[in-house]
Amino acid sequence: MAAPAPTLSPATRLGQAERADTLALRNARLSPGEIIVVRIRRSDGTESAGRLQEFAVPYQKWMRVLDALNWIAENAATDLAYRWFCGSKMCGTCAVRMNGREVLACWEAVEPEMTIEPLRNLPVVRDLVVDRSRYETKVAGFEPWLRRADTYPGFPEPLSHKQMKNASKALDCISCMCCYSACPVIGLGDLTDFAGPAPLVQLGQTALDPRNDQQKVAGALAQTGIFNCVSCYKCEEVCPAGIPIVSQIIEPLKAKTAVLVPAMARHALALRAIVATRGRVDPGALVLRVQGLGALARLRRILRLLVRGKISPLRTFFAFKTAAAAPARRILGRVPP
Amino acid sequence: MKFAYYPGCSARSTCAELNVATHRVATKLGLELVQLESATCTGARELRAIDPAAFYALNVRILALAEREGLPLMTICNTCTLNVLDAHAAFVSDRELAERVNARLADEGLHYSGRTKINHFLWVLHEDIGERRLRRLVTNPLTGLSVAAFYGCHITRPPGRYGFVDSRNNTALETIAQILGCLPIEYSGRTECCGFHTAAADERVAIKLTGQHILAAKAGGAQTMVTPCPLCHTVLDGFQREIEDDLEQKLDMPVLHLPQLVGLALGLTPEELNIDRHMIPAEMVSAYAAGSS
Repeated sequence: MAAPAPTLSPATRLGQAERADTLALRNARLSPGEIIVVRIRRSDGTESAGRLQEFAVPYQKWMRVLDALNWIAENAATDLAYRWFCGSKMCGTCAVRMNGREVLACWEAVEPEMTIEPLRNLPVVRDLVVDRSRYETKVAGFEPWLRRADTYPGFPEPLSHKQMKNASKALDCISCMCCYSACPVIGLGDLTDFAGPAPLVQLGQTALDPRNDQQKVAGALAQTGIFNCVSCYKCEEVCPAGIPIVSQIIEPLKAKTAVLVPAMARHALALRAIVATRGRVDPGALVLRVQGLGALARLRRILRLLVRGKISPLRTFFAFKTAAAAPARRILGRVPP
Repeated sequence: MKFAYYPGCSARSTCAELNVATHRVATKLGLELVQLESATCTGARELRAIDPAAFYALNVRILALAEREGLPLMTICNTCTLNVLDAHAAFVSDRELAERVNARLADEGLHYSGRTKINHFLWVLHEDIGERRLRRLVTNPLTGLSVAAFYGCHITRPPGRYGFVDSRNNTALETIAQILGCLPIEYSGRTECCGFHTAAADERVAIKLTGQHILAAKAGGAQTMVTPCPLCHTVLDGFQREIEDDLEQKLDMPVLHLPQLVGLALGLTPEELNIDRHMIPAEMVSAYAAGSS
C-alpha cells in the first residue's frame, strides 16, 4: 500500500537542483520541434472542478507558458479562455498554476509535461480566467489612498528611504493574485475574516506611509483580520515581484494594528507580557490569557493533556521564576500582569 | 562535537519528550550539548511583529550567549531557528541596529560580533555528523517503516533563506529517513503549514489545515509522520483528536519528533525516547525498536 519512494538527491546537493533550473537550462533540455504535453483544466465556471484537456504542443526555442497557451488558442482550441496583456511581468493578468505552483505565464519557461490550472481561491469565469472582484471589493473597502494627517509641507517632502522602506516594497505589487491563490488561510474560505496577502500588500502601500492619517489607517486595519495570518511564507514563495510579504508588509501592519486596534492583537500582546515576566512561554498561561476562562470549556482536551504530562497547572500558576526571567524583563521592560 | 543547545519553550513544556529524546540521541551521536541557562524565548511570531526592537535584542542575546561559549548553536524548533537566523541576518547587514542591540546587551556584559553558526538538529545530521557516519551508526534499521516527512514552514521558507526558492526542493528529511532504513512517501503536505501560529487565539485554522495533511499522508500509505518542529508536532499530535472530530473519521496517525525516529534506528528504546508521551499512541512505530519482536 505504500507509495514508491520519491527520487531523492543526496543532501550535499540540496538546492542544487533548483539552481540548475533556469530558463536557459530548461530550454536546453528541449529542442525545437519536440512535443510537449500540456494539460489544461477547462470549465465553463459552473462545474466545480472542470476537466483536463490534453494538447501536444511543438516546442519552440525560448518558449514560455504563455507561448504554449497562444499556440493552443491559435491551433488547437480557439475557444480557450485565458488572460494576458503585457507579456513582460508588468500587468499581472496572466497568473496561472503550472504543475501545482502559481506562476506568471509570461515569465515561466515551459516544462516537457505541464498541467495548467486557474488560480485558486477566486471563482472561475471560464477555463483559466478567474473573477477578481472579491479582491477588488476588499481593496476598495480599505480606501487605499493617502489622507494626510498634516498639511502638505511643499516639495520636496522630508521623507527618508528608511521611513518608506516597507511601503515602497508594497509598491512593487502587480496584483497578479499568485499570493492570494497560494494562501492556505484564504483557501479555507469564510472560516476567518482574513483579508489575504494581496489585499494586505495593497493596503501596505498607503498604511505603511508615515504621511497617512493614523485614524484612517486604523479603520482599514480593523477590516483585515490580519492576525489570522499563519506566517507560512507561501505568499512570499510565489510572489513574482519578490516582495517580502510576511516580513515587510504583514508584520509591520501587525505592529501598527497592535498600537491602533489593540483588541485585535490580544494573542501577540499576551505573548509579549508572558515573555516579559517569565522569560519563556508557558502554553497554559498563554491560552488562558488569550481565551480567558472559555479555555476551560475544553475539559476533554485538558484532561488528555494532563494525563500525558503535556501541561502542568503547577508550572502555569506558580513557577514564574526561570533563569530567563530577569534578562527578558530587562529587555522587554516591566509589563503589568 | 560540542554545541550550545537551545531547545526553545515548546521542548521545555508541551513537547518535553523532544528535549529528552534530543539529549539521548546526542549522546549516541557523540554530540556534547551545553545548556544556555538564561536563554529566553525568541519571541515566536508575535514579538517579531509587534516589537521588533525587543525581538532583535532577545535573539541576538541568545547568539551572544553561544558566542561567549565559543560554540555553534543547535536548535530543535523551526520557528526559533528562523528567528535567530533572521535576527543574525539583520544584525550583520545593519550596523546601526547592531550597535543598538549591543548597547542593550552591555548591561549584562554580553557582546555579539556576528560569529555564531546557527544549526537546526536536522542540519547537524547532514553537515556535522554526515550521511556516511550516520549510516554507520544505524544499528537498528527501520526497514519497511513508511514515513511521511512533515517539514513545517520555518525550515523551508522564506524563499532563499535556506538555499532554495521553491520549498518543494527540500529533501533533507526524506534523505535522513532513507538512511535510517525507512521508506519516505510522497504526499501533498510535506512543506505545507500546520497553522500553529494562530492556534492560541483560534484553533479552527490549525485543525482544518492539518487535517488535510494527515489525510494526505494516510492516503499516501504513511505509517507514521515525522517532523523537525515541536510546534508542528503540537498540532499534528496534540490536536489530532479534534481533527478527527472535524473530519468525522479516525486517523490514529502517530507523529514522531525527528530525534525520536533517529533514536529508534540508533538502538534506543521507545521508553528512552519518551515515545509513550504522545497523545496518539505510537505502538506500531515502537514495534520497529531494537529488541521488539
